[in-house]
Amino acid sequence: MKHQRIIALAWKEWREIIRDRLFFALAFIVPTMLMLLFGFGLTLDVENLPFAVVDHDRSAASRDYTYRFISSRYFDFKGQAGDERQLDTLLADNRIRLALVIPPRFGERLARGEAAPVQVLIDGTFPMRAQTTQGYVAAINSAVSLDNMAGALSAGRGIPLAEAQARVQPVKLEVRYLYNQSVKSIWSLAPKLIMLIMMLSPPFLTALGVVREKESGSIFNIYSSTVSPGEFLIGKLAPYVAISFTNGLILWALAVGLYGTPFKGDPAFFALALLLYVVCTTGLGLVISMLVQTQVAAMIVASIVSIIPAVLYSGMLLPLSSLAPGASAIAHALPPMYFTNIVVGSFLKGVGWQALWADMLVLTAYAVGLFGLGYLLFSKRPSA
Amino acid sequence: MNGIFSGAGLRRLRVMTHKELLQLFRDVALMVFFLYAFTGDIYIAASGVSMQLKNAAIATLDGDHSLASRELASRFQPPYFQAAGSAGTPRQAIRHLDDAEVMAVLDIPPRFGERLSRGEQVAVQLQVDTSNSVLGFLASSYGAQIVGRYGLEVAALREGLSSGGIAGPVIQADTRIWYNPNQNDAWFMGISEMLTVITLFAILLPAAAMVREKERGTIEQLMVTPLSAFQILFPKVIAMTLVILAGTAIALFGVLGPCFNLPMRGNLVLFFLITALYVFTTAGLGLLAATVARNLAQVGMLTVVILMPMLLLSGAWTPIEAMPEWMRILAWASPLHYFLDAAYGILLKGVGMALLWQPVLAMGLLGVVVFGAGMGRFGRQFG
Repeated sequence: MKHQRIIALAWKEWREIIRDRLFFALAFIVPTMLMLLFGFGLTLDVENLPFAVVDHDRSAASRDYTYRFISSRYFDFKGQAGDERQLDTLLADNRIRLALVIPPRFGERLARGEAAPVQVLIDGTFPMRAQTTQGYVAAINSAVSLDNMAGALSAGRGIPLAEAQARVQPVKLEVRYLYNQSVKSIWSLAPKLIMLIMMLSPPFLTALGVVREKESGSIFNIYSSTVSPGEFLIGKLAPYVAISFTNGLILWALAVGLYGTPFKGDPAFFALALLLYVVCTTGLGLVISMLVQTQVAAMIVASIVSIIPAVLYSGMLLPLSSLAPGASAIAHALPPMYFTNIVVGSFLKGVGWQALWADMLVLTAYAVGLFGLGYLLFSKRPSA
Repeated sequence: MNGIFSGAGLRRLRVMTHKELLQLFRDVALMVFFLYAFTGDIYIAASGVSMQLKNAAIATLDGDHSLASRELASRFQPPYFQAAGSAGTPRQAIRHLDDAEVMAVLDIPPRFGERLSRGEQVAVQLQVDTSNSVLGFLASSYGAQIVGRYGLEVAALREGLSSGGIAGPVIQADTRIWYNPNQNDAWFMGISEMLTVITLFAILLPAAAMVREKERGTIEQLMVTPLSAFQILFPKVIAMTLVILAGTAIALFGVLGPCFNLPMRGNLVLFFLITALYVFTTAGLGLLAATVARNLAQVGMLTVVILMPMLLLSGAWTPIEAMPEWMRILAWASPLHYFLDAAYGILLKGVGMALLWQPVLAMGLLGVVVFGAGMGRFGRQFG
């Protein structure tokens, strides 16, 4: 292998990239734009859930109960509905996601110290949202129940309300949220966005760059030259790795500077991990480009191999622990999952080599494996 | 120039559509992935992903070892939790959490049972790994329900409000989940994945087909034929729409129906009509991108710029209601936003045009505007 040839090839590729101004600009604009768009827009918080109430009771108690939901920031009151049939339409039309039906004699039952039934209807189209909604409703219901019990106890025994409250709630739960103490989505999201975006853009860039030569036929210049396959691959990919690594650093700066995500880990360790990951995703683009003949196919394959696993199987939106064998196999077979561990560890947990060495090892093996595969697939004497 | 829909015009459209289909089918790697996307990929997404808290490992730091503390710890059970035994020391507990071996640690203080029986209020702590904030929320929410219920039972027994169980002026919620009562994630994920794949192909295929002609120079050949701009552009969209509709049918009747018992409650003809309209609209976006790009590499990057925001901000994966105001306005410009309402509406909720006319109309208008803009730009570039 000659350094000179590699440098010449890398320089040629670099010139080609920067001459295509739109492509060059997009290579940097795309990651930053995605980071801004998703950072501000993609929230996993389930908030402002539109809901309606059918109040058959119309008592002070039912109004108080409704008001608990109205005053919560998780719910967005859309008004009273006349009857249950109206709720059908509202739910079917996506105008509300939740409905409460308060039956007659709701207040009367509570006043007599009896349990009062309430019907809760939840739009189950999006199961995750439905579950979260159920959690909110249960929390409000148990708060109302506790207050009622305390009120009844205090009136019945003639003890102060505060004491009654302590008595009906003998066990208090204090929840400590670790790694992300405010449960604010953006803190857990921003680091993972680096993973997602660095999975999307490098394979695209690389796959297109290599297949472009195949499709336009300029690859025959390489075939007939003295350049060896290894030299070609390294020289060809170096500019894409450099662009993507720079992008990764920009995204890191955005995560820390713009979104205020705390970075507790070791910057040098993270930079190394980022470089490894970028080499992996660039290598993925390389392998794709070896397998297909046209740029259209390269784009389709790159997006199916990168976008979908990066979003679904990387632990970004969905818990890895609940993946079924098929999806879990895909998750383990691709680099995003391991890099997710690294970004989450570096940003939120402040752990380093000691906890993450295994993930680093996998990424390294992955990078080597992909380049090896690319090397094997690249033939200077293609049969076709 | 011939009228667009005169006999000759129609024949030209047919011949050009045929040419596009031929070109598509000859790219074997592309067709293999096309089939995979509409079958295997959707199958894996639908069968493999569950967004619910299932068997989250929870370790206990029991400083009490009394009957009461064991009773409380034992209530953290499947389906939501899975006991992972004792956490050992507090430092070990933190390490378990650091290594993501457990998701939560329940910390019960010494003399828990004793203080409870004396009528004191005792605090227990739940440490939750919220690296994944949705799961973290669910874990703490279920934890609060379990502890709350245990507390109420203890209180009820102690205060003599009842003998075991809970009575008193409490709210008894009867919760019903509509459209997907068993919270089957496969339905949601399967449809969501299908819509994603449709969107991907609807943008990429026409855009790529267009730019390929530009890049290879075959567009010049087309320009010297009597074909109008419309007769060159539209067949690409027809061909891609046909292929994507076929893929959708395979996904729906070959994967989602037989493997996951997707209910398909509404009118399927309507669903396919709306899908065709959606593909047309989205293809317009792709063609617009193609008029901006000069080569396929640019199209690739532009596609990401269009596709990712469309997917992630349409409400498929995250709720639109919680987004900031300006994002919600952006979401209205995304055809996927309307298609999502229509697809879930027809397949899961069984609604018809009476409720769907608004999203469909919005999608149609968007399609006309976008397609018109694309045609206009194309005409100026090559007219």
